[in-house]
Amino acid sequence: MRRYTGWLVGLSSAGLVSVNVLAAGGEDKQLSLTIYNKDLALVEHVRELDVPAGKQRIEFAGVSAQIVPETVSFLAPSLELIEQNFDYDLLTPAKLMEKAVGGRVQIVRINPATGAETTELAQVLSTEGGTILRIGSRIEVLREDDLPTRVIFDKVPENLRAQPTLSVLVNAAKPVKETARLTYLTRGLTWASDYVVVFDEPKGQAAIQGWITLRNTSGSTFTNARAQLVAGDVNLVGSEEQWWSMWQQRRSTNQRAVGTESTGRQRLGDYYIYPINQATTIANNQSKQVSFIDASGVKAGKGYEATFWGFSSSDEPQSAEVRVRFSNSKAAGLGEQLPSGVVRVYTRDSRGQPQFIGEDHIGHTSAGSELALKIGDAFDVTIQPTLENTTRINKRTYQYMMSYTVRNARAEPVSVTIRQDTLWRVNSVEAESIKGRRTDTDSFAWEVPVAANGETTLRFTLRQGW
Amino acid sequence: MRRLLATVALCTAPLYAAAQVEVVSAQPDSVSVTIYRDLFALVTETRTIDLPAEPVTLAFDGVVETLLPASAVISALDRGLEERNYDYDQLAPASLLRKSIGRTVVITRTLPGSGKVTQTRAVIESANDDGVMLRTTDGLEALSCSGTPEGLTFEEIPDGLQPKPRLSIRLAAGQPGKRTIKLSYIAQGFAWRSDYVAHLDAGGRSFDLTGWVTLRNVTQSTLKQAEVQVVAGRLNLLYEDEGGTSTIGATSDFESETELQEARQMRLEEWEEDREDRELDLEFLYGCYPFGKRSPAPAALQYQRQRMYGRFPDYGGGDLEEVVVTGMRASIRPPEALADYHLYRVPWPTDLNARQTKQAVFLQKTGIRSEQFYGFRVSEETLEETDEPIQPELTLGFTNSRAAGIGEPLPAGMVRAFMSEAEGDIFIGEALLDDKPVGVPIELALAGAMDLALEVSVDEDAAKESDEEFVDVELRVSNAKGRPVTVEVRQQLPEDIAIRVERANHRTGRKFGDYVWRLKVPANSVESLTYRLREAEVE
Repeated sequence: MRRYTGWLVGLSSAGLVSVNVLAAGGEDKQLSLTIYNKDLALVEHVRELDVPAGKQRIEFAGVSAQIVPETVSFLAPSLELIEQNFDYDLLTPAKLMEKAVGGRVQIVRINPATGAETTELAQVLSTEGGTILRIGSRIEVLREDDLPTRVIFDKVPENLRAQPTLSVLVNAAKPVKETARLTYLTRGLTWASDYVVVFDEPKGQAAIQGWITLRNTSGSTFTNARAQLVAGDVNLVGSEEQWWSMWQQRRSTNQRAVGTESTGRQRLGDYYIYPINQATTIANNQSKQVSFIDASGVKAGKGYEATFWGFSSSDEPQSAEVRVRFSNSKAAGLGEQLPSGVVRVYTRDSRGQPQFIGEDHIGHTSAGSELALKIGDAFDVTIQPTLENTTRINKRTYQYMMSYTVRNARAEPVSVTIRQDTLWRVNSVEAESIKGRRTDTDSFAWEVPVAANGETTLRFTLRQGW
Repeated sequence: MRRLLATVALCTAPLYAAAQVEVVSAQPDSVSVTIYRDLFALVTETRTIDLPAEPVTLAFDGVVETLLPASAVISALDRGLEERNYDYDQLAPASLLRKSIGRTVVITRTLPGSGKVTQTRAVIESANDDGVMLRTTDGLEALSCSGTPEGLTFEEIPDGLQPKPRLSIRLAAGQPGKRTIKLSYIAQGFAWRSDYVAHLDAGGRSFDLTGWVTLRNVTQSTLKQAEVQVVAGRLNLLYEDEGGTSTIGATSDFESETELQEARQMRLEEWEEDREDRELDLEFLYGCYPFGKRSPAPAALQYQRQRMYGRFPDYGGGDLEEVVVTGMRASIRPPEALADYHLYRVPWPTDLNARQTKQAVFLQKTGIRSEQFYGFRVSEETLEETDEPIQPELTLGFTNSRAAGIGEPLPAGMVRAFMSEAEGDIFIGEALLDDKPVGVPIELALAGAMDLALEVSVDEDAAKESDEEFVDVELRVSNAKGRPVTVEVRQQLPEDIAIRVERANHRTGRKFGDYVWRLKVPANSVESLTYRLREAEVE
């Protein structure tokens, strides 16, 4: 059994240090982390405690300020848990002065001419807007005279701490050697998947690497932890996350078909688990990356798309969207579900060096899905929309004659998918220069082929009403 | 595991790495940088490393400090990669104090008046954004709250603090020996943009165009003898908060290249302000208890925010360390295609110094066929507010084709137009050009017209007498110039009302969906355009 003096507390991060009575120092017997990709992690410390009989306080200094205190659970079968505290009132000059109201401090004044020091005792009366002191029979505002004045406090009041501290008050019937488990949820420890796709357009193939990036901004270092990562949308009620995930889903239209293949990955309920094979240390302010997918020769292609909502003309031609399409099915060469993350796409330049060409976000994607990632706007494939005329058919029906001039400044022919979206309830194509197709109850699409260095104009007449 | 003494990092290396053999690659052999318009670059470093046979931690020093760890790719590595780490707990006043909680330091005070220096040992009791508390034999004191100059001396740098951000990878056992690998990553703080200078001839039939590329390195890293490329094109990018690359927001949230350019410029200015703030705050401010005169801001917080970006002067060049102009002759050759973008190569290796701006000519075309006219677009508001003054715009129209004299991709940028007069060149105006591929028509509205008045009047009387819905529009153009001009009037069409134009007194054409008329107005005379706008009946 060892006793630590107060100021050593900060040295052990996430360590177990006893103050009031005592407890064991030393390391975690086991440290486990379950990390979710929504800025949330479950931390479990397993510790050997040497507990004498009686009531005592066990402190866990150095837990992150981002711990969710109401999720703390302390499990030690032979100890009676009396209460659990999370003190996050940090020791700062202002807090210390506030706590000193009514108490006494030493004032050391320095004579600016001679440098001579005079020490006096002062009572702190108030800290509202300025520190008001009673010195003998005088009342003064601290340093209002702008003269150098040191303030010396004699002790740190209880509950003001250098670091947020978790403590439990326990009672032991008799001295006991106990294996205790402390678990809690914390923010500031999260992971994301990042993908690197090297797209080889002439071969129609892509090499796909998946990286898990762990980020630790919790303020603590987790030493020799067994970590596992959970992919899936943990429901966080009423949180910003919930809104965020809805927004993400609405926004991402790059998943074109949902897969139905299962893979060999470990599952937990509806979630996928990615264990990290060996114990790892995750330092504070560290990004740690572990590879989890490495596939090459995955079938991939490219397409141009442009979607128009409404009917209008534009002076400025609009660039076609460039999409890289691939499937994460086994047949296409991947056969892995993809946890949500950012996909960065590269292609090789004329000298064979990979260059970055854009990025897109994917949601949790089950194996066998079709993806069409938007990587950017085509510099050389543009569409100029022109509303040729509008005709009123009846009170509820209008007819629009549109033309879309597709220009291709590339040295090879391209095909552009033009979509007219979000039409009114009743809609029909009356005439068209290229045969299109209905893609939805409220949209039509046309494939427009354009020769190398050429242009093609798609014309159609569309009627809509309600 | 054995420790390889020669390469084991010094006291600044994190504790956990000490158990494994560590090899440090101090700097790259050569660097290639591909700069994008969106304030970042892809840096590709070639490095030679010598690996032992056992598992090893390989650390890369000399990386650009703004690197995005998730973007790093290591190629040509024949060893199993177990994990890779990016440590950015950087050595800075705030982190040094924080990591030194519980350690002993020495406070040095200089007393006013006598100038006497005293030194006292103290233990750091707490250090956070709101101040620093020290324990001495006298009791507890706050740092820098007494009004006496105080300094702290530390005995050592705590473990885990890096003098520079460091990328490291853990490799499995494998073949020992020397090899060459490539490390590539995205780094923030590089930028490029294009600007154009157009020289118009007085008659308006042709102009000369020079395109400038401006390269910026606003990081604190210097890249020596780098191969430099720039990419022209609009990449889809996500906001950094979503794990993406863009520091200005997702590309899809911007309507046009113009909006993007404004946002980029604003970001650069913000970085510049941060830098200036930081220079002012060189004397790190600490939080104190309240007292009479001042209440310092929690500077530590500010410092955290700024640390990432370092120095970012704006393009305006007011505070640049160095601007290098490579000359007036086109030095960069026409671009090569990169996916659906264009890649321009700087033809020689160049130094990209910290806080440097470089310019080079990438386009030089003379005698481009063009037309000049004064354009005006009639909208619904024009017809409702007929007493508002109308100013047509001097517009330069041309096609980006080889036949017209260009025929090269034109990356978005500001076009500044000059006209040669007897007295010399005069600046006539500027316009933002969007990305323009070969083959598209381009119109640039350069300036409001002078000595050219346009009045509009609307007559609804005839309509009132009949049952039909129409208005008669008249536009009078008065040319006070001593030369004839061409005026182009466009009638905008609303989307959801079926409108027809009838009875025009000039030949009616169509342009970009609008109705259009071209009027030749002789010197010092008035010309009038009349037409009827009719709401189409139900068929």
